[in-house]
Amino acid sequence: MTQVPTGTHLERPGASLAPGLSAVLLGDPRRRRREKLIAAAFRAAAAFSILVGVLIVVSLLGEAVSFLRSIPLRSLWTDGWFPRRGMFDVKTILFGTLIVSVIAMVIAAPLGIGAAVFLSEYASSRFRRTVKPILETLAAIPSVVMGFFALTWISPSIVEKLMGGNSIFSMMAAGIGVGILVTPLVASIAEDAMHAVPQSLREASYGLAARRRTTSVRIVMPAAVSGIVASLIVGLSRAVGETMVVAIAAGASGGSLFTVDPFGPGQTMTGAMAALATGSDQVTGNSAAFQSLFFVGLLLFGMTLVLNLISERFVRRMRAKY
Amino acid sequence: MAVTTTDVVRRNLRRQGTDWGGLLFEGALLFALLVSLGFLIILVGQILVQGLALLAERGTSFLTSQSSSLPGRAGVSQALVGSLMLMLFVVATAFPLGIAAAVYLEEYAADTRFNRFITVNVRNLAGVPSIVYGLLGLAIYVKAMSGFTGGASVISGGLTLAILVLPIVVITASEALRAVPQGIREAGYGVGATKWEVVRSHVLPAAAPGILTGTVLSLARAFGETAPLILVGAVTGVFFTGSGSLVEKFQGAYTSLPTIVYTWSKLPQAEFQKLTAAAIVVLLVMLLTVNGAAIWLRNRYERKW
Amino acid sequence: MVKRKFVMKVAAALSIALVAAACSSNSDPSGSSTTSGGGSVVVSGSSTVQPISSLVAEKFNASNPDVAVKVDGPGTGDGFVLFCEGQTDINDASRPIEDSEAADCQKNGVNYTELKVGLDGITVMTSANNAAVTCLTKGDLYSLFGPESQGFTSWADANALAMKQGGKGQFPDAPLDITAPGEESGTYDAFIELVGIEDMALADKVPADQAATLRPDYQSSPSDNVIIQGIEGSDTSLGFVGFAFADQAGSSVKKIEIDGGSGCVTPSQDTIADGSYPLSRSLYIYVNNDKIKSNPALKSFVDFYLTADGLASVNEADYVDLPADQIQATKDAWAQASA
Repeated sequence: MTQVPTGTHLERPGASLAPGLSAVLLGDPRRRRREKLIAAAFRAAAAFSILVGVLIVVSLLGEAVSFLRSIPLRSLWTDGWFPRRGMFDVKTILFGTLIVSVIAMVIAAPLGIGAAVFLSEYASSRFRRTVKPILETLAAIPSVVMGFFALTWISPSIVEKLMGGNSIFSMMAAGIGVGILVTPLVASIAEDAMHAVPQSLREASYGLAARRRTTSVRIVMPAAVSGIVASLIVGLSRAVGETMVVAIAAGASGGSLFTVDPFGPGQTMTGAMAALATGSDQVTGNSAAFQSLFFVGLLLFGMTLVLNLISERFVRRMRAKY
Repeated sequence: MAVTTTDVVRRNLRRQGTDWGGLLFEGALLFALLVSLGFLIILVGQILVQGLALLAERGTSFLTSQSSSLPGRAGVSQALVGSLMLMLFVVATAFPLGIAAAVYLEEYAADTRFNRFITVNVRNLAGVPSIVYGLLGLAIYVKAMSGFTGGASVISGGLTLAILVLPIVVITASEALRAVPQGIREAGYGVGATKWEVVRSHVLPAAAPGILTGTVLSLARAFGETAPLILVGAVTGVFFTGSGSLVEKFQGAYTSLPTIVYTWSKLPQAEFQKLTAAAIVVLLVMLLTVNGAAIWLRNRYERKW
Repeated sequence: MVKRKFVMKVAAALSIALVAAACSSNSDPSGSSTTSGGGSVVVSGSSTVQPISSLVAEKFNASNPDVAVKVDGPGTGDGFVLFCEGQTDINDASRPIEDSEAADCQKNGVNYTELKVGLDGITVMTSANNAAVTCLTKGDLYSLFGPESQGFTSWADANALAMKQGGKGQFPDAPLDITAPGEESGTYDAFIELVGIEDMALADKVPADQAATLRPDYQSSPSDNVIIQGIEGSDTSLGFVGFAFADQAGSSVKKIEIDGGSGCVTPSQDTIADGSYPLSRSLYIYVNNDKIKSNPALKSFVDFYLTADGLASVNEADYVDLPADQIQATKDAWAQASA
């Protein structure tokens, strides 16, 4: 690149042409000041979101630390989660969350990905246009409604009749309810991923005389694998954080012994938090039971944060390909 | 995508007949889709059967009565008012803040590490479970700011929901802004407009349908939330608001439609189960209306670039 | 730009509609809501007494629409915590205040008046399909619920302990699915007190700090409806609730007779009223004395509570009325406190 001779007007356009010209080009100082103010206001709004994140961590950490300091650490490994008795067995609620989430994903993964493959590879565009909004409506159902449905229909008709469970409150009923809620989420993200696979890949496959089924399974799905994995992780994250279905249908609101029986009642992390809140929610935070609320919240926040970061990575890989 | 020529040719060449494996596979996939939809149909059917009977019998008195411990008199009027008041807070707080943050991230922000951090942070916040926002609301609004909010009041509930919805508003508004072609902005700069002037007069109006759709959908999401409100102190018992001033009303007890569904589902009398179903019908009707409005708006005002 | 204006107009219209709704959302015909209202009463505490207080609140609201009333039922124990911090005006209680709670109240300078308002009988229940169990003694109850019963998953496991504590035993070998109130509930404490769990436990060498508790390994819930649902959900279930909830529970659950030493007695309005049902207890409301002076709405609320109309709520909520002399004693206590 040619060296710009110093001192000429090319170095700083308009600077030496005429002293007034630069002022004219830059414009009215009031306008410029307003611009700066507006830009600053917008930046503040964006920075507010960081404030929210910081506040969450700070408020959770503060109470959680004070909780851990006020209880004998032995009580984190006892027979069960009974906060009012000072028994804060963490593995009870962790296993509860695990069981409910696994059941939910066992339902949501095949149903969601199956529906996604059908919509993306087999359905006509008219079919897709009518069915997709219905599927999205399923995603919009509030979880409290699903909780009521889980208790009044899923539990008696499916868990007790078909599966032979004998308790009306069970982690199985809650898990199925959460699974139904998560299915459209998985289907939607997986379908977007598969739809984004270029048509040329499919045509190349058909050109080699492959069947539709082979193309879908051997070509399209592997090509969309990052998106499919992302959909499963997002679904898992949603299942872990689901509260109302568990609060209504899984029972054990006063506490639960450590159990791995999905056909009985059980306590998840979110259910434990909801149970604590409806008891002493207005107590001024001095009892260990109340503070355990924040401790569990911190655990939950950490878990979903890790899951979200992992899914972010997969989503970015999915977007980067095409 | 229809049957490809390969299938037809191969079939004719081999005179094989139908591809059973393929049909089975397709059938299984369709089954998966139908089961998902089937649950929705059963859910709606169940709720309607119980709820419509009660609504037919009680009529509009269900919508205008206050909550009561007697099932014959209980209604959702307080819940409706509470929900609407909460939505007012969400609209007033989260929407301007969220849209402003999106404008910054899309229009003003250079690709610095700080700005990328904000974007990642917003995405993570969108994935945080709603009950954690309830904890935040409890710690900050109900306890720390109780002088201003009056403790467990509508203000606390509304602000908690606003923070919950904020990341979603930022993300949807960002996507709407990103969809506006760069040419429009460049045309504005070309005639000497400042960045704010370009944004205000060209970019925002062009992105408005998308922003509007996104914000209405996030409003629908906030409408259906229960867990954070329970933590922040929405009333699950019976209450009457008396005749205080408007400020006192905002600082006083409240409930919301999903909260009353939760409360009633736990009451012993069998009639309350029917009342729960009826309240769910009202809730679903309102949600469908809002979602439908969002989709209609999107279809009506959407611009294809 | 046009869209934004449209959105803002819609938002403005919505806000105006909301303000109008909020101003007229109660039955105040004159619509005057800019003056500070007629006061507020906050009631919390026992979920057993909550139906009574809710009914009283509704009747009170019909004649005093300008008073804000809130009735909640997180549990007697939780309610006392709030009450003794001065955060509530009235605490519903299904058991008398404990010494530790009274000490808390005194420490925080909260003076209270105890008013007995009704009678209840803790009703032990099982599934209607459970034909084997119809009558239990206190020893039986101890063997099924007490602190030494942790780990009993079948009714038959409790037989030995029941015999030791003077019960009848002879339980079938069937799954023991217990759903009952937890520790936040006054019904829990009252049950322990009335069955005499602590004495039986101490006699059996249970350490003192566990003697007055029940086994921890059952499905506990503060919500009586959840308890009823749990009992309905299993054929060999067991649980206990306040009488009103038991009575309204429907035909898939049944009440168990209790033998307190003089034969099996079924809980009913009559047997609770005359005290022949062994698990009868009193229901109370505790009123914050200092707030009586500063909050005229509170005084008129409690005045109304103790009128014939107010106390009729006890029966309407399916509990048992106090005998006339105890009602008079309550009224006298209130008259003295509110003078």
